[in-house]
Amino acid sequence: MQDTVLIVGSGPSGLSAAAQVAGAGYKVVMVEKEEVLGGAPILSGYAKLVPSGEWAKDAIGRMVKRVEDDKAVTIHKGTRVTKLDGEPGNFTAKLSNNKQVKAGAVVLATGFTHFDSVNKPEWGFGTFPDVLTSTQMEQMVASGKIACPSDGRVPERVAILLCVGSRDRQIGREWCSKICCTVSANLAIEIKEMSPETDVFIYYMDIRTFGLYEDRFYWKSQEEFKTKFVKARIAEVTASGDGRLLVKGEDTLVKRPIVIPFDMVVHAIGMDPNQDNPEISKVFGVELEKHGFLQKGEQYTNTCGTSRPGVYSCGAAYGPETIDDSIAQGAAAGGRAVMDLTALVRKAG
Amino acid sequence: MAIHEKSLIEPERLLHHDELVVDGVDVSGHWNTMITPRTLTDYDDDFEAKIQAIPGGENVHRCWQCGSCTNSCTMYAQNVQFNPRYWIYAVRLGLKEEIIKDKDIVWQCVSCNKCTNICPKDVRPEGVMKALAHWMEEEGITEKTPSTIFDEEFTEQIYARGRIEDSHVLMGFYKKTGQSMFQNWLQVFGLRLARHLPVSLGLKFGRNVLMKPRTKSWGRTGEVLQQYVREQKEAAHG
Ligand SMILES: Cc1cc2nc3c(=O)[nH]c(=O)nc-3n(C[C@H](O)[C@H](O)[C@H](O)COP(=O)(O)OP(=O)(O)OC[C@H]3O[C@@H](n4cnc5c(N)ncnc54)[C@H](O)[C@@H]3O)c2cc1C
Ligand code: SF4
Ligand code: SF4
Ligand code: SF4
Repeated sequence: MQDTVLIVGSGPSGLSAAAQVAGAGYKVVMVEKEEVLGGAPILSGYAKLVPSGEWAKDAIGRMVKRVEDDKAVTIHKGTRVTKLDGEPGNFTAKLSNNKQVKAGAVVLATGFTHFDSVNKPEWGFGTFPDVLTSTQMEQMVASGKIACPSDGRVPERVAILLCVGSRDRQIGREWCSKICCTVSANLAIEIKEMSPETDVFIYYMDIRTFGLYEDRFYWKSQEEFKTKFVKARIAEVTASGDGRLLVKGEDTLVKRPIVIPFDMVVHAIGMDPNQDNPEISKVFGVELEKHGFLQKGEQYTNTCGTSRPGVYSCGAAYGPETIDDSIAQGAAAGGRAVMDLTALVRKAG
Repeated sequence: MAIHEKSLIEPERLLHHDELVVDGVDVSGHWNTMITPRTLTDYDDDFEAKIQAIPGGENVHRCWQCGSCTNSCTMYAQNVQFNPRYWIYAVRLGLKEEIIKDKDIVWQCVSCNKCTNICPKDVRPEGVMKALAHWMEEEGITEKTPSTIFDEEFTEQIYARGRIEDSHVLMGFYKKTGQSMFQNWLQVFGLRLARHLPVSLGLKFGRNVLMKPRTKSWGRTGEVLQQYVREQKEAAHG
């Protein structure tokens, strides 16, 4: 059992952790509640990823294949962990398929849940067919055709509303979801590429295309693809009577109310804590931080730690995270688990 | 809504009827003063491209509204209504009315280019100010500037004859700008010319003024030139 790491979740972070552990010569048992591996980018059908520009199904597909082809990895799909007993070096997990797994360390790569736009009814999702979430827009881009769901016409104008389900005390979501500014700038580029006659407007409070995403996504979408950035938080989306949508708010730079007609409105939805986290907290005996994500252990010497020794985490389980950083953290968590197992073997020997 | 603090409202948004009866109630005079709403109800999607087509306006779409240009601006220091950052925003969204409101100050940019030097996105706001002034002149929103009128007089003579006759350019310019031909400096200039110019040159000068000669073999060159200039303008302005 001291040669096995249990990894829960098969998104970018879990897949990276698995490859790390297997590559170091240890065994992996991977438990994934869905029937397919790959996490959010695969389950939600993302289009081209930021920042690589590769299609999600190709990029994450390679990560899935690397793990599936590895004989050191045992995969349980459509399965959850129902109980975890034991201590570092000697854990026993019960699975929902009635199997039992013995492992020396556990990595929780359980990720996030997309914000459900229905919780912001004033922005029209669920009421008007031409109001979409960014995941639906990603799927539309991946399908190869930009069209209004209501009647199939090519939209003259698309509005992307940032921070939907993020940075909003009214609905108890006080965090920034970190990637949606960049993803939205990228979506605007993709829409313009596929449908040159469509003008894209992004309504923002701040633009947070951090690090190297600044010029590669924000500037590029503004300068090369003519995306218009309007500083306004939208108050309401309503119907105009002639089949279009009306976007209402205040343009903070002009100090004026605006009521602008649009053909499509896209919610740049944020990353909520995984809705399973209360259950995960109970089953694995780990604490949650104040927003509901997994609580990090001591930051500087307890790499990828949680509140329970021997149980590690990585990626969006800890808070809103990018794929690239989730992959790096997954590798770190895998490395940390292997390090612990090696230390135990040394101690015993 | 009837309002009392009229000084806070732009004059063009104040509606006022001298005589008005509503449901049989006489509300003539200041009782019926109303304000039109300030809501922006649409963008003009083509306006930005129009300004970009005018020399100087090419980079306007890069602006991210940091305000560095306005902050550094020579004219803003004189008059806080002079706000390049704001006009650039209005160009981007096609809020034409906002720019037209400031038609009497936009052209006051003194081309010091402090804004150009400071702009982190290399928008070149000075060029945008020029392009805007140019657009307003072309659309007849502002009157033609004296220099434009001078240029036109000059160019018309070139088309016609392949050369200019100074006195005619001056006469045409003063006439079109409604100025007197009897300018002080012109009288002094004329007197000195008469006193010092050799007789032979003076005769030639007088003959040119009367005969308006063309450049040798000018032929249809003027027409071709005019056509070319027209085409170039159309190509630039779409
Ligand atoms: C619209 C949108 C677009 C995005 N586009 C990009 C992009 O272009 N580039 C980028 O860098 N990032 C992007 N992101 C962020 C990206 O989705 C995350 O960084 C990434 O998915 C995090 O990976 P993860 O493995 O930590 O979590 P996840 O991808 O959420 O994977 C978690 C996995 O764990 C499984 N799981 C959850 N709970 C349990 C449980 N109790 N038991 C068993 N299994 C469980 C889930 O089914 C899932 O397979 C985007 C996010 C959104 C919302
Ligand atoms: S990344 Fe941008 S859109 Fe997303 S929550 Fe943060 S500020 Fe809002
Ligand atoms: S300095 Fe440049 S980017 Fe900043 S507001 Fe002026 S034009 Fe825009
Ligand atoms: S060039 Fe014009 S707009 Fe720019 S700083 Fe000088 S006066 Fe202001």
